[in-house]
Amino acid sequence: MIDWQPLWLSLRLAGTTALLLLVIAVPLAYWLAYGRGRWMIAVEAIVSLPMVLPPTVLGFYLLLAFSPSNAFGRFLDHYLDIRLVFTFPGLVVGSLIYSLPFMVNPIVSGFRGLSLHLREASRTLGKSDRTTLIHILLPNIRSSLITGAVLAFAHTLGEFGMVVMIGGGIPGQTRVASIAIYDEVQSINYSLANRYAIILLGLSFFILLLVYFVNHHFTNPKTLP
Amino acid sequence: MRLAFIQLCLICMTVPFTSHAQTTEVVVAAAADLKFAMDSLVAVFSKENPDITIKVVSGSSGNFFQQISNGAPFDLFFSADIDYPERLKAKNLTRSDIHIYGTGQLVLWSRSIDPAIDKMNTLLNPAVKKIAIANPAHAPYGQRAEETLRHYQLYDKVKDKLVMGENIAQTAQYAQSGAADIGIIALSLALSPAMQQTGGKYWLIPAAAHRPLEQGFVLLPHAKDNKGAVKFMNYITTSEARAILKSFGFSRP
Amino acid sequence: MPHPPTSAFRATKMLHTARGPQRLDIDFQWQQGRLLAIYGPSGAGKTTLLRILAGLTPADTGLIEVEGETWLDTVRRIHLPTRHRSIGFVFQDFALFPNLTVRQQLEFALPNPKEKAIVAELLSLMELNELQHLRPGLLSGGQQQRVALARAIARGPRLLLLDEPLSALDDDMRNKLQDYILMAHHHYHLTTLLVTHHLPEVIRLADEAILLENGKITAHGEPADLFAGRTMTITISPGNPSAKNP
Repeated sequence: MIDWQPLWLSLRLAGTTALLLLVIAVPLAYWLAYGRGRWMIAVEAIVSLPMVLPPTVLGFYLLLAFSPSNAFGRFLDHYLDIRLVFTFPGLVVGSLIYSLPFMVNPIVSGFRGLSLHLREASRTLGKSDRTTLIHILLPNIRSSLITGAVLAFAHTLGEFGMVVMIGGGIPGQTRVASIAIYDEVQSINYSLANRYAIILLGLSFFILLLVYFVNHHFTNPKTLP
Repeated sequence: MRLAFIQLCLICMTVPFTSHAQTTEVVVAAAADLKFAMDSLVAVFSKENPDITIKVVSGSSGNFFQQISNGAPFDLFFSADIDYPERLKAKNLTRSDIHIYGTGQLVLWSRSIDPAIDKMNTLLNPAVKKIAIANPAHAPYGQRAEETLRHYQLYDKVKDKLVMGENIAQTAQYAQSGAADIGIIALSLALSPAMQQTGGKYWLIPAAAHRPLEQGFVLLPHAKDNKGAVKFMNYITTSEARAILKSFGFSRP
Repeated sequence: MPHPPTSAFRATKMLHTARGPQRLDIDFQWQQGRLLAIYGPSGAGKTTLLRILAGLTPADTGLIEVEGETWLDTVRRIHLPTRHRSIGFVFQDFALFPNLTVRQQLEFALPNPKEKAIVAELLSLMELNELQHLRPGLLSGGQQQRVALARAIARGPRLLLLDEPLSALDDDMRNKLQDYILMAHHHYHLTTLLVTHHLPEVIRLADEAILLENGKITAHGEPADLFAGRTMTITISPGNPSAKNP
């Protein structure tokens, strides 16, 4: 019937990427939202670059970087015994870069949408920036965090160009659902390809519904009876 | 709360997904023309060796050559053109001698036209708008297809009608679906159940039209200590395996 | 009898207002325990003055010494960050944290989470007991103001800074809230600086007042002296109803 492995792999890749990005994106977004300096604009552009970069370009450079026949790849292989080409962790690293802007940008918008007075008020109460971030800022941009996580998840789910370059299509490791669909079409297994495709389509649609629902829920203020 | 999620995800990442504590895993890079033949070979082998899991990755031989040169974790490489394993051997990237498993043959295949009538000149038929061949840049069957076209002095006349499949399997799929009116594909694929069921027709292209397509397989450095890989490799050389290959159109070397 | 400690505030800053560049240039002192009103028309620089004192806005040059502690000295390059200044600040828009209940706002303000007693006391004093488990979104303007005031006081600051805290309220509410400010100021022996452009408020609440016009202090004394029987030059700008000669 249907081999669930590619779907499970896709979900695992998307989930791992989204969770790790939450950890990476919050400090980065904080810095972009509140930092000052002329080169912030350059940083913002770099962060957003993966949105417009063709995924195969990203995949190509990652392949060069991670390949054991090149300096960095050799370093990883020799000293840390890590291979990033054709492995699941390699896909995670690629996805972190590929989906970064989808996490960072909503969070930056969220921070920028908060009144500056909130941060200042917390300072006047003697609180450090870190305390302010954790107890005041983040709880008030919950919808941005959720939106970012969900978008990063969905975006990673659909990855193909980058995976094709550095994945190798190895079953159980890097043969994610998008690759499996491609493979099954090539093998003239149209019905199986269709099954994968419909599941991914349904999942993506459901995710979008979730995002819109969350945003709707959080932007409707509770009013006095 | 968030911390718990992060911990959960790190665990998911580090715990190996496949719980094959008792089984050996063999990852095989197989040229796309072997797709259906390999399925049969693996099925038979697995019945007799349930503790060995064979994972097959299908693609073009040229692509595999690149990936293996860049450290791809394959144990065995079945190449549609023996040139690639030989180049790997020259780079010290092989662990065994190169075994030949057959000679590849080309056919003209179409679901709508019978190529046996006009043979190569079918390609000049005005009803033929798109001709599928594998990408000559990295697919051996594509290289031979191009040679064949030049041999018959048809290349310049039809080159605007060519569409490139990434590997020979995709090329066959283009022809099978009718996206291309006709394709130059591997005999082994034409003989596969999927292609036969479509009711297309094919014509065998004379071997003299192109360089011979000797196909070979080799054990790779990643298979170090992998007894399962060696076992599978030895299996391919048995007469039983050769019979399967023959039935899929891989003539004996 | 020992003199209560004096605090001093000197600062200059170039402001870019809607009417063009304006220089804020101030120099004044106050005694501990006083309620000092800073009065003047809109755009005079009152809010900026308060923000510089709080450390929220940088000054071009300045010296701030509060009861012996130097908060700012641009010559010696000393700038104590806001969070190390012992202040309570009430913003014009209250700046309550949308995710915390009234009680949680006060608890958050405590330097030591164990001293819950003062929270209970403040809730009673400001009559917030019934509202303590509500979030700001459910409170009226006057209620939010009381919470903002309580929150600013909770950590026992040396200086209480109020930036036009009552301007968002209607007259009825205004009067009631003025009571609360006065009561809190006396109950906790605070030193309070109140920025306002509402003349009756100055007269009702302040021990002394400063008149700020076009970025400069043009008068400093008892409210009664300041505004009774003296000619004042106040720029009459459109929409400034409180500006008139007595």
